[in-house]
Amino acid sequence: MKRTWLLSVAGAALLSLNATAQADTLRVTVAEYSSKTGPYFEEAATAFEAANPETDVQIEVVPWDVLLQKLTTDISGGANADLSIIGTRWLIDFVDQGIAAPFDSYMSDEFNDRFFPTFLSPSVMDDKTYGLPIAASARAMYYNKDLFEQAGISQVPNTWEDLAAAAEKIAALGDDVYGYGMQGKEIETDVYFYYAFWAYGGNLIDADGTSGLDSEAGYQAAKLYKSMIDGGLTQPGVTSNTREDVQNLFKRGKVGMMITAPFLSSQIATEAPELSYGVAAIPEGPSGARGTYGVTDSMIMFENSEVKETAWKFLDMLFEAEWRSKFTGGEGFLPVNKAVAAEPAFADNADLKAFAAVLPDARFAPVIPGWEEIAAATSDALQTIYLGDGEVEATLDGAAEKIDRILGN
Amino acid sequence: MSAKWRRTFWSWAFLMPFVVLVLFPFTVMFVTAIKPATEVLNPTWWPSQIQWRNFVTMWEATNFGPALWNSVYVSVVSTGLAISVSIPAAYALSRYQFTGKGFFRQFLIVSQMLSPMVLVIGLFKLVVWLGILDNVNSVVFVYAAFNIAFTVWMLQSYFSTIPKDLEEAAWMEGASPFKALVKVFLPLAIPAVTVTAIFSFINAWNEFVIALTMLRRQESYTLPIQIFSLVAGRYTIEWHHVMAAALVATIPVAIIFAWLQRYLVRGLAIGAVK
Amino acid sequence: MTRSPFTNPYVLILPGFLLSAFIILWPLFQLGNISLSEVNRFGQIRGFAGFENYLAVFNDPDFYGALWRTLIWTFGIVIGSIGTALPIAIVLHEDFYGRGLARVIIMLPWAVSLTMTAIVWRWALSGESGMLNSALMGLGLIDTNIQWLAQSSTAFPMQILIGILVTVPFTVTIFLGGLSSIPDDLYEAARLEGANPFQLFARITLPLIRPFLNIAIVLNTIYVFNSFPIIWATTQGGPANSTDILVTYLYKLGFRFGKLGEASALSIMMFALLLFFTLIYVVLAMRGEKE
Repeated sequence: MKRTWLLSVAGAALLSLNATAQADTLRVTVAEYSSKTGPYFEEAATAFEAANPETDVQIEVVPWDVLLQKLTTDISGGANADLSIIGTRWLIDFVDQGIAAPFDSYMSDEFNDRFFPTFLSPSVMDDKTYGLPIAASARAMYYNKDLFEQAGISQVPNTWEDLAAAAEKIAALGDDVYGYGMQGKEIETDVYFYYAFWAYGGNLIDADGTSGLDSEAGYQAAKLYKSMIDGGLTQPGVTSNTREDVQNLFKRGKVGMMITAPFLSSQIATEAPELSYGVAAIPEGPSGARGTYGVTDSMIMFENSEVKETAWKFLDMLFEAEWRSKFTGGEGFLPVNKAVAAEPAFADNADLKAFAAVLPDARFAPVIPGWEEIAAATSDALQTIYLGDGEVEATLDGAAEKIDRILGN
Repeated sequence: MSAKWRRTFWSWAFLMPFVVLVLFPFTVMFVTAIKPATEVLNPTWWPSQIQWRNFVTMWEATNFGPALWNSVYVSVVSTGLAISVSIPAAYALSRYQFTGKGFFRQFLIVSQMLSPMVLVIGLFKLVVWLGILDNVNSVVFVYAAFNIAFTVWMLQSYFSTIPKDLEEAAWMEGASPFKALVKVFLPLAIPAVTVTAIFSFINAWNEFVIALTMLRRQESYTLPIQIFSLVAGRYTIEWHHVMAAALVATIPVAIIFAWLQRYLVRGLAIGAVK
Repeated sequence: MTRSPFTNPYVLILPGFLLSAFIILWPLFQLGNISLSEVNRFGQIRGFAGFENYLAVFNDPDFYGALWRTLIWTFGIVIGSIGTALPIAIVLHEDFYGRGLARVIIMLPWAVSLTMTAIVWRWALSGESGMLNSALMGLGLIDTNIQWLAQSSTAFPMQILIGILVTVPFTVTIFLGGLSSIPDDLYEAARLEGANPFQLFARITLPLIRPFLNIAIVLNTIYVFNSFPIIWATTQGGPANSTDILVTYLYKLGFRFGKLGEASALSIMMFALLLFFTLIYVVLAMRGEKE
């Protein structure tokens, strides 16, 4: 009674949700990687509906920045979709709370075999697969060939010392050219530091289950970054530069080197086609250790979904080579399907080859609850150091203490 | 006449610093919107060529039309709803003394104190319970409710400036209170209602958090959400489209302002009475 | 006088009361419930927690910094915008050539969603690719780029300035509405008695726009206290939480770190704080009116 009253007050009762009560309605939440994401999934939905006329696929495109917020409200209100893209680093929370459903009963060996194990394994927990890698990337070093030439650098830096030396030469070229582009703001500020941290032999979580930031590796890496900032080898105002800001400087040819994901290549192709650049491995540390960051995003199925069979059919289609290839190429990710990787467009791409070469060193975000909070604590400490508001050792020790508390030690 | 010219000079001179500050972000938007895609990242104020075409490509690339329509629908309907329940409430507050009057006024202020950011989870559960999720009407309903406090307050302040004599005269002549309200009081209150309605319209036009939580399919997005989705976490941001979209979204409201400001002239509310 | 539902004040306020009560009280009850419960990261209630969530907020050192900055933020913007809006409204109320245009320009920031304004400013304030630096350099005011958002000492004042800029249009419009309700004859009568402009302002304008001034102060305090987009879009409360205010801190707590219980407790505390300030103001304003 109350409901009808309220609806008539609110205006016309356009209950689109109930309009297709007869057919199976499959709701899919997808995160928006670029302007191509929405149209791609709409196309896939149309193709799926053509093959399965009794099904109605609803694609709900959500901006990345608010994805976690939206999933939280959806789940708390019991109004979540049937399938969703999530950051694999969040997966453990979804599994712990019984929100994500395991795929194992649906997955055939053939299906399993479509993927590179490196990318599938982060979504496997307790021997069950809870997520399918929809997007994957790793990080490598981009360098500007013209700036290298002007500065007389013939060798792409292989160690962090080489990198600092090269950055110094490039920085000397002029007032508005910087050697090493350094990220110091927002998402992945911590990751930008891990590249050096791993090379110096650090571990995010030590064998005893505590934070590894308060180690010699942490101090050395932080001091290296701090000395580069103080020496004018980076762009000024590091703590106001997000990854996108640094990428923009790189596209404008103002930064000699930076570390980022393969999608920068596709951006350069459309936005700065005449930029001459190369892609190389992230430099190694004194002991030859190296680390790149591997990231996957997963497609998960909700435990409370009432159309799991249909949902699986849709996933089976999405993870076929044809649809995967279209997505991976359009968005500029690394192929997760073996068949896609073998296609000439990917196999013969020099940039992607460089990324494929660093994959054996890839490390993923550790599978622990509260990872976002740990990442934030680390980023805060790094910003404090970059700004010169705290000593390296004391600040990292403080962050490690905080992280240990989050870890429950 | 020269006195007015002098006043004109001093007024503009006084306003100038603020005018510059206000126009700065709009200039940034405009300059970025007309730059060729390859120049967007350069902070120059003079693009090598002006690309009006960006506005056309933006319209298609950003699904601007449907979002514009949703915004207009949501703003108009929620304003209508808020005003139609606020007029009687404001009238009661300005004309009658009754127990609970103070409580009602305080309740209205208090209802504004919880930020939508804080309430989203509760509101979301409410909307799910009502079964109007992903329906633009859910947003209409919430906006109207949020705007009531403000519209009642504003209307009451204006209504109190309208003398009571005219309604009383109508009553004397045998008009029913309803008739007196509609025939005598409301015509006098039109400027006040217009101004208040526009406040409510703009709040709805610009609202962000609630729309973001309640609307889930691109077909139901309002303009702020549509534009936000162009910049929020995409790996590459087409800034010239973003700025063009933001600029075009401003135009309807700017036109309303041009029309609204005529109502903010001294003596209009009172002058009608004489 | 004829009896009619239209003379019964309770009937008149009922629809408005119901609609706003429904949308406020139910979510508020939910919030209170969550704040006293053990909840998981997705807002599902798992048990009773007593005041644990509240204690957890009090034990977080970041809370106190955010609280302090919220006070600076709120008072800075409210005082700044009222102080700017009042003279602007008075000037805009005078009759001069181009007044209509001037009014539209002053109101313009209000025509853009706050989120969008914040995004444009972030874009303009960027150190190396920002158009503000580029403009200041073109005018010869600076010779090296200023990294506006790199440290809180420049970022926070800038954010307050943007806050003032977007609050002024709303405030000016309220004041213009108030000024327009003052009858002309009052001024004429006072002028005949030889009052100077300052006396006109102090004796007529100020007392008569007082209700509008009160609306502006109370509503702006509430809106600014809870305002999220400017800080979130420009710095997300960084670097190292140095520009966090309570709302941005709340957002991180609730939606980034998944501590919905603590976030709800914090919301209730923010509500209480705002209530406290508003009550003080209302009491003071009422005493002032009586005098």
